[in-house]
Amino acid sequence: MAEISFPLPDLGEGLIEATVLEWLVSPGEQVERNQPLVEVETTKSAVELPSPQAGKVVRIHGGPGDKINVGEPLIVFEVPDNTAGIVGTVPTEEAPKRRVRLSAVLDED
Amino acid sequence: MSGRHTGQQHSHTVEGTDPQLHVEVHEPKNDAGLRPVLLLHGFSSSAKLNWEDTGWLAALLEAGRRVITVDLPGHGRSGAPEDMDSYSPSRIRADLLQIAFDAGARPLRDGDSSSGLDVIGYSLGSRLAWEFGATQHELVHRLVLGGPNTADPLAEFDLLAAQRYLADGTPIADESTAGLLKMAQLLPSNNIFALLSLVEAIKGEPFDPAEAVPHVPMLLVAGENDERSATLPDLAAIGSKAGAMVEQLILPGRNHTNAITSRAFKQGAISFLAV
Repeated sequence: MAEISFPLPDLGEGLIEATVLEWLVSPGEQVERNQPLVEVETTKSAVELPSPQAGKVVRIHGGPGDKINVGEPLIVFEVPDNTAGIVGTVPTEEAPKRRVRLSAVLDED
Repeated sequence: MSGRHTGQQHSHTVEGTDPQLHVEVHEPKNDAGLRPVLLLHGFSSSAKLNWEDTGWLAALLEAGRRVITVDLPGHGRSGAPEDMDSYSPSRIRADLLQIAFDAGARPLRDGDSSSGLDVIGYSLGSRLAWEFGATQHELVHRLVLGGPNTADPLAEFDLLAAQRYLADGTPIADESTAGLLKMAQLLPSNNIFALLSLVEAIKGEPFDPAEAVPHVPMLLVAGENDERSATLPDLAAIGSKAGAMVEQLILPGRNHTNAITSRAFKQGAISFLAV
């Protein structure tokens, strides 16, 4: 098994941090891709972040009311080794997308 | 996740002019066979910000509901018409009715759970939903009103102060006006002058919930710390007095901005509308 860490994604429009409102998953839980993970609030709006992949939640960072900076760890998944390998091949530079999505930190394998 | 159809803008002429409203109809993967749900966003928001990014659309589709979203005039991907009439609440309600029928909603029929329309609104969208439910009783089945208010904060908006501020930076004395304008300016996608046209049109038709009361079952929802929805119990009383079945849901620790993502809100709405 391998661990993949996802940082708080760039939420667009110059936002540098978000406040955790409520976690919808907890450590030990098996989640599906696109399953809602967490509600966060920025200075502009509240959003629900869907899971970028399936896996078992190992750690979550920040409780309700805690601020997290863009790029700081948000959630860590445990995934089968071969899955981590596939994720690891995704290029780090992605075209900007309107939809907010988490992407993996690739240098933590 | 979802099928999506209909094109750029709603171009069905209702009152001689094209409302230029952007409409989307989202089909669930497994249709529960229930009537469609129309979503009405708040001032200075959009279908995307209010319903998609917050997880509402996905949650409703997951529950097997067919969803109709629309961006209000001057918001999101809708046009920003020049004429003031396009922004009046009565005109918007007429456009919504046409949009609902174009999207396949049919008048309520006893015993047919696919007939009619459910409406979920937030803030300004709740005001529109209340009036829409009151006037379209042959179509509307149930209402969920988030962040509602007996008065319309936009009707008390100090338009002159806002225009002065935009022209030369003169500070705005009224706190509510300053807050609403700041919110509107935070989003570069907003057409600020169209939003001010909407405010002006709303001042011409301020919300009077007692004037026309929906007689359909309603769920009123607000954050515990939502200063803009402090009058929720009064609105519930107006509905109950008129004979409507009204339920209230208060979300602990939430305010007007962050109540919208609440799972309790979504689950409450989905189960309230699943009949």
